[in-house]
Amino acid sequence: MELWRKARDVVRKKIFFFILLGWVLLIIGDRVDELRVYQGAQIAMYSIALASIVLLTGYSGQVSLGNGAMMAVGGYSAALTLNNLQTPIWFAFLMAILVSALFGSLLGAAAARLSGPYLAGTTLALAVGLPAIANQFTFLGGEPGLLFDIGFPPESFGEEFTQYKWFFWIASFIALISLFITSNILQSRFGRTWRAIRGNSLAAELAGVHSSRMKVLAFTISSALAGLAGAVLAMTISLVAPGAFTLALSFALVTGAVLAGISSLPGVVLGGLILVVIPEIADAVANRFGDADKLNNYLPGLIVSVLLILSVIYTPNGPGENLRKHLRKKATH
Amino acid sequence: MRFVAAVLATGSLFATALPAHAETGVSSSEIKLGITLPLTGAASPGYNKIGDAMNAYFKYVNDNGGVYGRKITLIQKNDEYSPQLSIAKTNELILKDKVFALVGPLGTANFTAVHKSVGLARRGVPSLFLNTGFSGFANKKAYPTSFAILPSYAMEAKIAAQFLKDNMAGKKLGLVYQNDEFGIDALGAFKAAGVKFDVTIPYTSGTQSAATAQTWVSQLAAGGAQVVVFFGVTSATAPLLAVAAGAKYAPQWILGSVGSDPLTLRALGVPVAVLNGALTLSGNPSPNDTNDEYVKFFQEINTKYNKAAFDDYVLQGMNLGLMTVQALRAAGQNLTRKGLIRAMENKGSTFASVGYSPLGYSKTSNVGHTGYYMAVMDATGDRKPYGGSVVVYTTDSGSGPVVKSTFKRPALPAKGLPTNS
Amino acid sequence: MQKVIETLLIGLTTGSIYALMSLAIVLVWRSTRVINFAQAGQAMFATYIGFEISSRSGVFWLGLLFAVVGGALLGAGVDYFFMRVLFKHANTGPAAVVAPVIATLGLLGLIRSVVGLTWGGEFRTIEAPASTDGYTIGSTTIPFSPLNALVIITVSLILIALAILFQRTNLGLALRASAYAPEIAKLAGIRTARTRTIGWAIAGGVGGVAGMLVSSNNFLSPYSLDLLLVFGFIAAVVGGLESMVGAVVGALVLGIGLTFILNYVGTSLVFIGGFTVLILVLLIKPDGIMAKGKGRRA
Repeated sequence: MELWRKARDVVRKKIFFFILLGWVLLIIGDRVDELRVYQGAQIAMYSIALASIVLLTGYSGQVSLGNGAMMAVGGYSAALTLNNLQTPIWFAFLMAILVSALFGSLLGAAAARLSGPYLAGTTLALAVGLPAIANQFTFLGGEPGLLFDIGFPPESFGEEFTQYKWFFWIASFIALISLFITSNILQSRFGRTWRAIRGNSLAAELAGVHSSRMKVLAFTISSALAGLAGAVLAMTISLVAPGAFTLALSFALVTGAVLAGISSLPGVVLGGLILVVIPEIADAVANRFGDADKLNNYLPGLIVSVLLILSVIYTPNGPGENLRKHLRKKATH
Repeated sequence: MRFVAAVLATGSLFATALPAHAETGVSSSEIKLGITLPLTGAASPGYNKIGDAMNAYFKYVNDNGGVYGRKITLIQKNDEYSPQLSIAKTNELILKDKVFALVGPLGTANFTAVHKSVGLARRGVPSLFLNTGFSGFANKKAYPTSFAILPSYAMEAKIAAQFLKDNMAGKKLGLVYQNDEFGIDALGAFKAAGVKFDVTIPYTSGTQSAATAQTWVSQLAAGGAQVVVFFGVTSATAPLLAVAAGAKYAPQWILGSVGSDPLTLRALGVPVAVLNGALTLSGNPSPNDTNDEYVKFFQEINTKYNKAAFDDYVLQGMNLGLMTVQALRAAGQNLTRKGLIRAMENKGSTFASVGYSPLGYSKTSNVGHTGYYMAVMDATGDRKPYGGSVVVYTTDSGSGPVVKSTFKRPALPAKGLPTNS
Repeated sequence: MQKVIETLLIGLTTGSIYALMSLAIVLVWRSTRVINFAQAGQAMFATYIGFEISSRSGVFWLGLLFAVVGGALLGAGVDYFFMRVLFKHANTGPAAVVAPVIATLGLLGLIRSVVGLTWGGEFRTIEAPASTDGYTIGSTTIPFSPLNALVIITVSLILIALAILFQRTNLGLALRASAYAPEIAKLAGIRTARTRTIGWAIAGGVGGVAGMLVSSNNFLSPYSLDLLLVFGFIAAVVGGLESMVGAVVGALVLGIGLTFILNYVGTSLVFIGGFTVLILVLLIKPDGIMAKGKGRRA
């Protein structure tokens, strides 16, 4: 009974926290100009996508390079549903979640026997191959892709309320809810079981854990999250096309997850911020140093790569981990 | 108290010195323009020179008083031919750099995505002289603030179809095209004109390479195509021609205008012997034709301000610059986005351009140039008019006929500096 | 029938280049237990060096030599300066699984940016060392040229050389021992760290050859070897990461399979074809084609 009350308190605190966060975002959204609002929507989108990586790799220990492909599945499902069935928008997002969860479970089942580099290789091939399918079937829109137009904010919001702000509201709302749910899942016995499998799957099996079933479950939920992120991405660019889901996207996701702490869910917002902000900083630096074409095109990549390498060597588990270690050292002195 | 008054007074002084309106991207001294194009990446060869060429012409104009005293600043953004990047970069141009208008954005799929996603029409951002020939952009209702300049691919295909009927009847025909709205535009027009291809090969943009070109060539050769029409980007033309040469497969090539610049093709490794005899449609004089006053003038600007090898793309870019300056002037000193659009609609068709065909701008039409002539490449890779003299055909993107044009191009303004208003 | 033979020949050529890349990947895997995504980046850098030399001297083979040397030096350098630091720092926590992957990805981006800053993004061409005109048999010309034949011969020679190295020399023995059982190898007096660096150097050199061969009939740009990376990696996984023969077999299977899809179906299904081949192989044999059961675990 005591435990139940404690758990309920924790959840209540969490709900309060998320609602507070939501209010803060609302206020920020009003004060900031359109470009920042648009970037805010992108950060929200990345947060959801990064959460999928945290769950899959950080918790259940499966290295996948294919989350970009799952985002594609989600994005296309949402667009196809909206365009062909004329459903309300929330239903399109729901379809994105369901279809990518289905794909994820299939992928997980196939991949359950694979480990390490074999898993990485398979997901790499998927990340490269899946978006290219769009070019083969005309109903998928080919290279130019499909429109994903969720319309404009309600008239009552006034003239100043731009469409990008509307995207920011919707994206943040979806991000808050999905992060809340994911947080609960990760702190439940599912999360603990995944960590056990990641640590030592043989021992976990001995302890009675159905290792492959849990792995498939991880893939399923992770893909659902990725698919939702893909639908949100499609919303922000009003378009879903193969070019939005390149291998580079999958790489960027894993990068962002590492930079922010691969097993830390709160870190995903930081990770999203990094993914959106760093290219901009790099661009500004490149512009300061001159407008030679070469500089502009390759300096941002250089800065991002160097940062990535440094952080993976020195803070592989995210800056939070280093801080913790440091504090622990201090405590024992 | 006196300090505050002083500050207020100085402030109001500055305030009255500013222009009465504050149109985005326009100040008393500057007009900011933006362009997205592939500066790097698989599709970039050739096209990546267009922005610098435009800029060279703008620099010349700026050195000679600018547009009513305002200097033009062109901001180039690299989108690597990817529609997603085009969207991101255009967002930057409009929301961060706050440009006045877009000029010459390149790519069919790119502009389609950008127009929808960024909401150019809704924001009222003018997009002048799109670097794409997709006929869908001529739809004024869907694209109220955009203006084409190139004849559409549909027009080009119709003119090519007429040529095929007149000169190549009975031969086996092959078609290689980029599998998106770019190539499908042409395919549709060919079908409507009743041309039957014995071999059709679509290729996905980005997959062009020697390996894929080998499969194209073996299919074309297996199908016995004697005439091959190609509608794709330059970096796909190159492996196709090179591989065909290696396989000793030598059909009559008919290259679409967008992907046929000889200089770029040779830089990409196509032996000049292969180009000899290849046919291509063109709307401009050859970039080597110094007897043409436009070409001569642009070459001078290139030498002084640009220092790139002068080819089709540099010519095209500078011409875009020339058109842009005329458009800005026609919009008047009180420069607004709406004013620019109106100026294009009312006066655009009279602008001086290097292209041989008439410009179709009006209140109801976004169409730029409307015609092509058939050219043939010679043993030095230069382009000469087919049959010895330039015979321009004009048509529309719909079902209108293909007719010989009698249009006479306006002369180049003195010293290449427009004085129109 | 002719089309089948043509497709087979083109596939063989493509596959043999993939074989070089997958060999390099397997070499590094076996010696370091790391999938080196930067392999293609190293190959690209080596190829640019080769491009500089061959365009100045006009001799392809000289360029190739420099590409091999450059690739080897870079490979050794990456192992010595980069991987050792990585393993010292990033060996705990959940990120240990993923750190080498990310690090090599970062390295790939780093090399690509440096190449782009130095040479720019324009397409370069390397003069092919042999003619690209297809052989003529009777009245038909097949899409198999002296260049293609040269590629296959070169790759075969390298494979033979590597096989001899690994099976017949002390260095080869040391390389295999250091990969399979590093602790025991150390006890036997083998300097495992130095041996590992040598393994990386060989892989880098082989990658350089792959890059030069691929670019001799194509364009060279900071992105031109991306496909080689993906397919080389898939080929290595298909063949089973534990065996060099497997790497080659996997690459040939992949090359031929993909070319058939390219020729008979269309360009857009090529990539998903790669995925299908991979997943089918792994479903039947999760450790790759040539794996001998569950002997060694990843």
